[in-house]
Amino acid sequence: MDTDSTQVRLSALGIVALSLFLALFVRLWFLQGIDRQRFEVESASNRLRVINEEGPRGRILDRNGKVLVDNRTSIVVALDREPIRKLTEERRQAEFADLADTLTSLGVPTKLGTIQKRYDDKRYAPQEYVPIAEDVPENVELFLAERAERFPGVVVERRTIRSYPYGQLAPQIVGYVGEINEEELVARGGTPPAVPGTTSSTVPPTTVTTVPGLPAKPYQPGDSIGKVGVERSHEEYLRAVPGKRTIEVNARGDLIDVIKNTDPVAGDDVWLSIDIDLQAHAERLLEAKVRSVRGGLTKEGYRKNAPQGSVVIIEPTTGQVLAMASYPGYDPSILVNGISSDLWTQLNDPASGRPLFNWALQGAYAPGSTFKPVTALAGWRTGAIGPGNEVVADGGVFKLQGCKGKACEFQNAGRTAHGSVDLARSLTVSSDVYYYRLGEMFWINRTNWGETPIQDAARDLGLGSRTGIALPGETAGRIPTPANRKEAYQKNPDAFVTGDWFTGDNVITAIGQGDVLVTPLQLAELYATLANDGVRYRPQVVSKVTRVIDPTLPPGEPGNFEVIKQVEPDEVGRVDLPPDFYSRMVKGLIGVTQQGDGTATKSWRASPTAWPIAGKTGTSQVVGKADSALFAGWGPAQPDAVPQYAISVVIPEAGFGGDVAAPLAFRVLAPASKGQLPAACPAASRALCDREVAAAEAASSRDVGSGGPG
Amino acid sequence: MLRAVSTPERRGFRARDLTAPWRHVDVILMVAVGLVLLLGLAMVYSATRRFPDGSGFVLRQGMFAVVGIAIMMGLSLVDYRRIADWWQAIYAGSVVLLLGVLTPLGATVNGTKGWYRFGFISLQPAEFAKLATILAVAAYLGSVDRVDLRRLGVARALLGVPMGITLLQPDLGSALVFIVIAMGMLVVAGVRLRHLAVLVLLGVVAVLGILNSGTLDQYQKDRLTSFVSPTGQSYNVDQAQKAIGSGGLTGYGFTQGPQTRGGYVPEQQTDFIFTVAGEELGFVGAGSLVLLLGVIVWRMWRAAQLASDELGTLLCVGILCMFLFHIFENVGMTLGIMPVTGIPLPFVSYGGSSLLVSFTAVGLVQSVHMHRFN
Repeated sequence: MDTDSTQVRLSALGIVALSLFLALFVRLWFLQGIDRQRFEVESASNRLRVINEEGPRGRILDRNGKVLVDNRTSIVVALDREPIRKLTEERRQAEFADLADTLTSLGVPTKLGTIQKRYDDKRYAPQEYVPIAEDVPENVELFLAERAERFPGVVVERRTIRSYPYGQLAPQIVGYVGEINEEELVARGGTPPAVPGTTSSTVPPTTVTTVPGLPAKPYQPGDSIGKVGVERSHEEYLRAVPGKRTIEVNARGDLIDVIKNTDPVAGDDVWLSIDIDLQAHAERLLEAKVRSVRGGLTKEGYRKNAPQGSVVIIEPTTGQVLAMASYPGYDPSILVNGISSDLWTQLNDPASGRPLFNWALQGAYAPGSTFKPVTALAGWRTGAIGPGNEVVADGGVFKLQGCKGKACEFQNAGRTAHGSVDLARSLTVSSDVYYYRLGEMFWINRTNWGETPIQDAARDLGLGSRTGIALPGETAGRIPTPANRKEAYQKNPDAFVTGDWFTGDNVITAIGQGDVLVTPLQLAELYATLANDGVRYRPQVVSKVTRVIDPTLPPGEPGNFEVIKQVEPDEVGRVDLPPDFYSRMVKGLIGVTQQGDGTATKSWRASPTAWPIAGKTGTSQVVGKADSALFAGWGPAQPDAVPQYAISVVIPEAGFGGDVAAPLAFRVLAPASKGQLPAACPAASRALCDREVAAAEAASSRDVGSGGPG
Repeated sequence: MLRAVSTPERRGFRARDLTAPWRHVDVILMVAVGLVLLLGLAMVYSATRRFPDGSGFVLRQGMFAVVGIAIMMGLSLVDYRRIADWWQAIYAGSVVLLLGVLTPLGATVNGTKGWYRFGFISLQPAEFAKLATILAVAAYLGSVDRVDLRRLGVARALLGVPMGITLLQPDLGSALVFIVIAMGMLVVAGVRLRHLAVLVLLGVVAVLGILNSGTLDQYQKDRLTSFVSPTGQSYNVDQAQKAIGSGGLTGYGFTQGPQTRGGYVPEQQTDFIFTVAGEELGFVGAGSLVLLLGVIVWRMWRAAQLASDELGTLLCVGILCMFLFHIFENVGMTLGIMPVTGIPLPFVSYGGSSLLVSFTAVGLVQSVHMHRFN
């Protein structure tokens, strides 16, 4: 063999070896020297998990600082599945059985199957505690803490949940809190929980801040969120800044180390514009009234079902809602540990009056005669009525021009003839003929005045569109026009008899019937605007948001907060109410409660307020049902007095407005006007409250009705 | 340690003989092997610390190392020519062992039927077969002046038989090692370039044939194709690169690597042991490890060059090729430049067979080096 050749070949082999090693070095340098940062980030996202820890939500207070919604500690028995996984199957079964027996004997009925199911629940991350019994008494905590060895992996946690010091008070306004659902999470930029069984359990926390200046409050699955009411509309304030725990986990997802821990910061307090004394008073009387009305029959033979009712009180000069009662209510504390589907069905059952609904802004009703000031304004604007041509002879019946037959006849309630009626008197005695005539005139002169003088006035006064109050679920109501009727007909021809608009439509629209629908909140806003000389404010339910300065002091400490947000009156419109018109209208509305033949005078005299009230009764007809009873007005209605309260009372299927709604309105306002409002009753002194309810009920039965519709 | 050796004692009067084998111990090779071994034990400790039986791995590895060192020292003192005299018996024995593993006596790990199990110890006959084959080919080719086609055929058969059996297990990595060993030894043995070209062509055809035949399981094909198409990188390689890359210049520190602590890299104590060095010791540590392995290869190359006969040269070249391929494939796979196969990193990966064979191989190289003046 040739030695030189061998040497050459060996050299070649050496060069090959050298280049291979060089390649390894170059590649190693690329990874560790150049791409290092990228791999560091990737390695970190591999093993680091950020766990958000929810803090206590802010409280909800009334306008005077009384706490409506607070937090309390709930003791929760939960499973830490990490140590339990290491047990043998038999040992685990034995522990679960023991735990179920122990909890049951301690007064917390628990099924073995429930524990097993929760243990297997894939929705919880491996290192997350899984709750098996919530809100357990303290003795359970003590018992389990003393026997930690007997129950490995069973932990007792203290969680913060909502509490309601006044019990069932304003439930639809404050709303409630529940576990965030997938849709809400996605809407806030979060990622829905991974499909059970997949390995990727990393849920990047969201970073959405909806209000500038507020800290980021990211969500992750399992967090709680306001579902309705102020809890929902002021979620971004009420929610606490979550604490952050950065942990390191291994490839199996087990905890290795805690890297960083930031404590949560409590949420901000929301002060309502509601006066809970007035709210409680209104709720109590509303409930009593509804109960006393129910079951009776109208003259036509319809049953008075009164399935729901609402009372709204607004401060006219600011638009702040002082009370908003919606019957039926519910006790929000039954929802603090989540809603079962049975309970959900029950709360949404139409037969139960749908307690979750805030009828004051989710219910829409024909306003009936309470609508008349709107038509009157339209009449004044067009010149159909005015100084010198405002008197009409009311014979109790109104016949359309050039029209023959029964269908052309419109009559006052009970065909009552009111005789010679001017604008003021048309309101005081609630003459329908006066407004029928206006309705007909508008349509006849539509080439001069346009097709929609009534609807224009209604729109200017805020009807037909949402008020924009900071509460979810509000409905817009409806103001019918020839145009929107045609549109509705074209969209769905089968649902309507015709798409055309006739004189008769204008005639019944003029008295707030037909297709006109308003919410009780809109009605209160309408009268607040009238009280306020045409300046229209958006209804507000929150007055301010505050943040506790020193968290170590009790949260109720006076002065221990800074104002984060002050809600100022929000002027949304100014309706020109000519003085000549205004004085006549106010005179007529005061007459409703003060004049001998006013539609609510008798009722007012039975429970008089400290000052006169300007208002209007309404009785609207619904086909096949008992009439809806309405009253809307304001007080004090005196020359130099600043109006303090604008009120609307709406109870459907209840009878005449003068019989049912007006007495209730006066009874609600009477003590307030005299500064004798009883304090709202805390849930702790329930016995006292029951006496007050009984007194209210007794008073309701003594109410004096005006005896007539209108 | 050299005092325990009998040869100088017996030769008493010739104690100053400059050709005496013990005077020609390759100290640099010894030091490099010792350092790599220590680094390897440390990496195995770090990678297996999190297991319930954490220290057991290092203890077993240390035990094998002690046995391995004894074998290495013993072999280095024996003239490699005496060992080569037994090549037929050794070769035949290793082929029988290799075949035996396909019978029910063999145990299956990760889909490869390639182990004998004795209590807590498993042995992989393919590792020993590589060495036995190198010895056989070196002895056969070293005994002839010229490599003609017939002899080339015999040499190829000697390499092909164990390679074929490992493919049946199927152990693709080991089969590849045989191919590399064959290439290296035949080139140095002076095979004509023309013949070599044919050999390379046959190799390519064989690889394609293997890929398209039913011999390979899907996971093995996947491992190979993940190398060809970088987009489909497998989880292992991904995690390995995260570990190495995030180590940076100086690493997270011994036992402090997050990827290692969390057990994110599969098979970390065996095939992916290099990731521990990369993550915890950084470029400085991992680079030093590669450098030390390079020193070992360099000393083998030097031994091949200094060898006094063809047998010694080919023996060293064969072992060199085996080491070179093991190192390049194993480290390259963790760096993402080679396909993933189950080839251990010599002296570093956890595993008795690999450690014993590595020591035996170094022992043979040492023997060639020490006995070059005989």
